[in-house]
Amino acid sequence: MSTEVIMPRLGESLVEGTVTKWLRHPDDHIEEFEPLVEINTDKVDTEVPSPATGTVLKLYVAEGETVRAGTLLAVIGEPGEEVPDAPPADREEGATQVAPPKTADQGTPKAGRDGLGFISPVVSRIAAEHNVDLSQVSGTGSGGRITKKDVLAYIEGGRSAAPWEEPGSGELFRPTEEFFGDKPGTVPEPTGLADTVLPLDAVRTQIAEHMVRSRRTSAHVTTLMEADLGRVLAHRKEHKQSFAREGANLTLTAYFVAAAVEALKEVPIVNSSWSEAGIVLHKAANVGVAVSLGEAGLIVPVVKNAEQLSLQAIAKAINDLAERARSHKLVPDEVQGGTFTITNHGVTGSLLATPIIHQPQCAILGIGALQKRAVVIEGLSPSGEPEDSLAIRPMVYLTLTFDHRIIDGGIGDHFLGIVVQRLQSWA
Amino acid sequence: MPDYDVVVIGAGPGGYVCAIRAAQLGLKTAIVDREWLGGVCLNVGCIPSKALLKNAELAHVLRERGEYFGFSVEGLKLDYGRAVERSREVADRLVKGVGFLMKKNNIEVHMGAAILRSPNSIAVTNSEGEGVELGAKNIVVATGASAASIPGLEIDGQRVLTYREAILQTQAPKSVLIVGSGAVGLEFATIWNGYGVEVTIVEMLPRIAPLEDEDVSKELAKEFRRRGIKIMVGTKVDNIEVLKTKVKATVVGDSGKEILEAEQALVATGFRPNTAGFGLEDLGVQLAESGMVEIDERMGTNVPGIWAIGDVTGKLQLAHVAMAMGIVCAENIAGVETIELNYEMMPRATYSSPQVASFGMTEAQAEQRGYEIRVGRFPFQASGKSLGMGETAGWIKLISDARYGEILGAHLIGPEVTELLPELTLAQGMELTFTEIARNVHAHPTLSEAIMEAAHDAEGQAIHI
Repeated sequence: MSTEVIMPRLGESLVEGTVTKWLRHPDDHIEEFEPLVEINTDKVDTEVPSPATGTVLKLYVAEGETVRAGTLLAVIGEPGEEVPDAPPADREEGATQVAPPKTADQGTPKAGRDGLGFISPVVSRIAAEHNVDLSQVSGTGSGGRITKKDVLAYIEGGRSAAPWEEPGSGELFRPTEEFFGDKPGTVPEPTGLADTVLPLDAVRTQIAEHMVRSRRTSAHVTTLMEADLGRVLAHRKEHKQSFAREGANLTLTAYFVAAAVEALKEVPIVNSSWSEAGIVLHKAANVGVAVSLGEAGLIVPVVKNAEQLSLQAIAKAINDLAERARSHKLVPDEVQGGTFTITNHGVTGSLLATPIIHQPQCAILGIGALQKRAVVIEGLSPSGEPEDSLAIRPMVYLTLTFDHRIIDGGIGDHFLGIVVQRLQSWA
Repeated sequence: MPDYDVVVIGAGPGGYVCAIRAAQLGLKTAIVDREWLGGVCLNVGCIPSKALLKNAELAHVLRERGEYFGFSVEGLKLDYGRAVERSREVADRLVKGVGFLMKKNNIEVHMGAAILRSPNSIAVTNSEGEGVELGAKNIVVATGASAASIPGLEIDGQRVLTYREAILQTQAPKSVLIVGSGAVGLEFATIWNGYGVEVTIVEMLPRIAPLEDEDVSKELAKEFRRRGIKIMVGTKVDNIEVLKTKVKATVVGDSGKEILEAEQALVATGFRPNTAGFGLEDLGVQLAESGMVEIDERMGTNVPGIWAIGDVTGKLQLAHVAMAMGIVCAENIAGVETIELNYEMMPRATYSSPQVASFGMTEAQAEQRGYEIRVGRFPFQASGKSLGMGETAGWIKLISDARYGEILGAHLIGPEVTELLPELTLAQGMELTFTEIARNVHAHPTLSEAIMEAAHDAEGQAIHI
């Protein structure tokens, strides 16, 4: 008797995944629970174990293909058993019976799907040709109808229609696009023999899609401050041992998360998302911490409910998430639901950067490299006269890149000021 | 000084509709016109010409088609004067209707010439020279357009006419020279031809109905010639000499100079926006080079509180476009939800025989823009309704984008085709394709079936051809 391997539903909201690598091939023997296939979803790589012991009879999905949960991936059974040539129709996860066959019509999204309102035939054809998820497109037609113009604008990735409001104070508040120039021109097709094309893997494609969408969605603005980490470093030195005994590797990132969480509590509007209905204020502070995977890209596991955690608990949570991220053991839900993100770009030497907001969040905190710098300390002489002195201090640049649709420059500064204040007064 | 939320200057179809919508939205509204309610359209344009065209159609049938239909009339007498009188009755009735609508909506009507004193005040002087000053939070300029003339040519109203004199004169000429072949020229050609007037159309461009699809121009020229209308295209009027009983025109065409004589000449070469004499320039209202008032998609000019709609903006000099602009303008003034008009997809109608109706891009324009197009056609000769009516000239031509099926335009020539556009423009606006139109069941027998058939043709194959 053969056993079917079905694409699992890997998380609450994850309904599709990409087959990145088959670990067994037709005619290979496999034991139950042995890894059969690597699946990639929303930046998480995970392995799907074999549901039975037997011989791999047939693989239905090629590497690199993205399929919905419930799709038949492979059949495992006795050698020589008959298997269907074409994959049977999709079925729901856990369903025992084959679902009634559907007409093959995957190309054309059906008009009038839930929540989207009327989808015109023209829009539907454009969406099908360009593989557009229409729920991502905002409609400007009457009653919010998605028009041809809307879907074409979405495809072309034109910049958000939201006008840039002049905040009126200083260079800092120029849009990040102005700092970095507009999007690069189209890259020419490789012509010389020396050129090579790196194939776009699922991680790269998803990062690219997310980055471009974010730039198009939010009105990015970056504000910059610096912080003296002297007190944080002293605190860390003092507690590192005791934390280690409790199983927590006390990293600087833990301090930044803790400081950011306090600022989020004081300025809750930063812990929010833009929606057509209004600005959604999130109750929980779920702080994403960007973790580099080297060439394999970047992942942002989320410290959930960070507002309820102590410094030690935060440190532990980060250790655990980062370690599992690097060994591809994260569960998809652990990279979702973030309400604020911190990126410690300083670990690779960067002094300051203007990161891209993790959609649909409001802001991202960028941490530069820790650097000993000479700073002027304002003080008083013993006789009470103003007397400044030079000191060597451990300094770090902090940037807050925020969605100017949601908050104004002053609020961004206020938030970042609290982070600085908290770090500098750590005790 | 009475104060209004909105004062509309010009009570043509754009102006009075704007005033009604503004009043409906709770704005205190007044309307000013120096001449009449209903503007050119109701008084001396669209409406009376439709009455005359109906008469002309009957006259044409009585004069020319007795043999076909099987009747003969001895001593047929056509009273052109009565036709004009009927057209005045129709116009007057509608103008009264506009007056009633103003009352019903509590819109104050001030008859007189308006001058903008400031962005918030207007001086109105009536025909007795009495003046009144109106305060207005918003001013809508809806002053329309006037017939353009030929340089050096005086419109005397006797020998040389514009549409205005032509529509009011109670006698038809024996022969007439029509300069220009836009809607006005083509409709008067149809009216007079119906009454047996010798009509010559002189068009400077290489084809009549020069803004329509090229195939439409060809078909219309063929039908006009069949009815005995003389057409000279690629021909420029050099000079018109006014004599006592006739005009003598020197025209220059491909074959050189020619002298044409006729009892009257109608100048139908287009319209110029009425922007002078209202004080617009003094307030800094921006005009385009061509003299039109420049507006944004909200119908706002560059001066806050001053708006403009209709012919004076030169968008599309059509009454129904002016009305649509009026509604959008009033809604923007009131700050309620409104739409943005897509001028390219506005319906266009010419009530010649056969009629011409179109919207969107011509085949040539669609190709120029780089569309790979799909064309569906259906001739009225294959339409049962059309055969029964005895009017089989013309056809329907539909154009769509082959890639996504978007409707790009439609060009119709034939009986009553002006009535057939709304299905197509609605489909275009809602981004339907010819597939839906082909599958939309049309009553049989109707002229509208030809649209369904042309849509079938665009999608693959028509049924009835």
